[in-house]
Amino acid sequence: MAGFVVIGAGLAGASAAIALRKYSIDARVTLIGEEDEVPYERPPLSKGYLRGEQPVEKLLVRPREFYEEQAIDTMFGSRACRIDGTQRVVHLADDRRVPFDRLLIATGVRNRRPPIPGIELQGVHQLRTVRDATRLRAEMRAGRRAVVVGMGFIGCEVAASLRHHQVEVVAIDPGPTPLARVLGEAVGGMLAALHASYGVHTVFNDAVEAFEGDGRIAAVVTKAGLRIPCDFAVVGVGVEAVVDLLDGSGIRVDNGIAVDQYCATSVGGIFAAGDVANHFHPVFGRHIRVEHWQNAMRQGDNAARNMLGERIAYDDIPWFWSDQYDANIQYAGHHTGYEELILRGQLHGGSYAAFYMNGGVIDAVVGVNNARDVRRAMPLIKARQPVDPGQLRDESVDLRSLATPPSDPVRTPSSSATA
Amino acid sequence: MAEVFVPAIKIADVPANGMVVVDVNGARIAVANVQGQFYAFDDECTHEQCSLAEGDLAGTTVTCMCHGAEFDVRSGAVLAPPAVVPVKVYRTRVDGDALHIEV
Repeated sequence: MAGFVVIGAGLAGASAAIALRKYSIDARVTLIGEEDEVPYERPPLSKGYLRGEQPVEKLLVRPREFYEEQAIDTMFGSRACRIDGTQRVVHLADDRRVPFDRLLIATGVRNRRPPIPGIELQGVHQLRTVRDATRLRAEMRAGRRAVVVGMGFIGCEVAASLRHHQVEVVAIDPGPTPLARVLGEAVGGMLAALHASYGVHTVFNDAVEAFEGDGRIAAVVTKAGLRIPCDFAVVGVGVEAVVDLLDGSGIRVDNGIAVDQYCATSVGGIFAAGDVANHFHPVFGRHIRVEHWQNAMRQGDNAARNMLGERIAYDDIPWFWSDQYDANIQYAGHHTGYEELILRGQLHGGSYAAFYMNGGVIDAVVGVNNARDVRRAMPLIKARQPVDPGQLRDESVDLRSLATPPSDPVRTPSSSATA
Repeated sequence: MAEVFVPAIKIADVPANGMVVVDVNGARIAVANVQGQFYAFDDECTHEQCSLAEGDLAGTTVTCMCHGAEFDVRSGAVLAPPAVVPVKVYRTRVDGDALHIEV
């Protein structure tokens, strides 16, 4: 048997390889990754690792020796460039071929590189890999001037880490607030105030026209005509799913790799998980592509078990967190638009939760320094039942008491294994 | 050295289906009251050192508020990631109105 092959050695791919071994003692498991490093977690790259508080070893999904000990064949530093779904072979960039019986694609996303003049200048950084973070860290010294381009989660976290090192920061975003599209302008406005209070100069409703400099960046020029002198810049303006290798494979691509609730692609025996997978979520009844840590970890595990012959729908409620200064921001659920935003607590009071409601049902919740309510809201989101907004607003009401009995605790892949 | 049971807290001070933190010889230990049964375990989550007693208790499962790791308070076993390492548990004994923990 050719065995199980996983393309992509980020968190989703690593979680899948770990699970394949955990649930099958004799499966042949091969993990292919483009980076040289063993699988690591990316969240600290914009936070603890970037600030120099964590060594690389703290990032690793498992210790370096784990893969050999677990008889997982690893091919790190190898790029898969084509999948032959008929011959059941993965072609690598170095012309090697890896045959498979069951395949998981967990290639993740890459940073968008908009064609802005000067983006290739030295000192214009991006952030995805540990190498990117190490390079950026070398720039961070008190009094230097940085421009952060894009105030998504990565841009916001990088700005916070830069301020932690007393770097002067100007942050530019095309929206009216940070994360306006994702969290809405009310929550975004609170984030804008947070960054301003820590000394970030924010520029909204504007975008970069050009990076200027002779070999190395010296200034950022915006479309509105600002010229901002700087010592370096960090560009975080979104990502795109890595699907190039699917050309000719017959696998359906639609905003990433389209998979069903079992993480199966349109081609038998080939699965996808993590950032690259546009997964049919049974709770929300539609395809969702989630680019966060919990989804990568849990969906990778779930896909692995279905590769081994189980049929377990992945139905975890998407959840992520972001740490900026002293604010711990957590989000659970999935929403695009919302009819009503229900606030629990005060937006500028340091701690609150905000519920994104449609038709009286909670689609998602964001909490600032309020992880408890975010976690307690997850069963409410999963239940898809209307919830009384007055009860949500009332901070004396324990959200657990709003669950419609019998309460269905959020099922986890590990607990369903033993069910 | 033999491990000994140390009086840690009055049982009346551990709310039903709730958790409190006690200091036993300098160690921060969480005590959970599950329907009159008392379970003791390290308060520090094995993932990123958040307080488990500040988490949620549902039956015998404690959920860490920071990143959602879940442990079985009876055995310390990991029920849900991101924690990988079980949390250390301690034996308990009720003596009169006091809960004793073996450390």
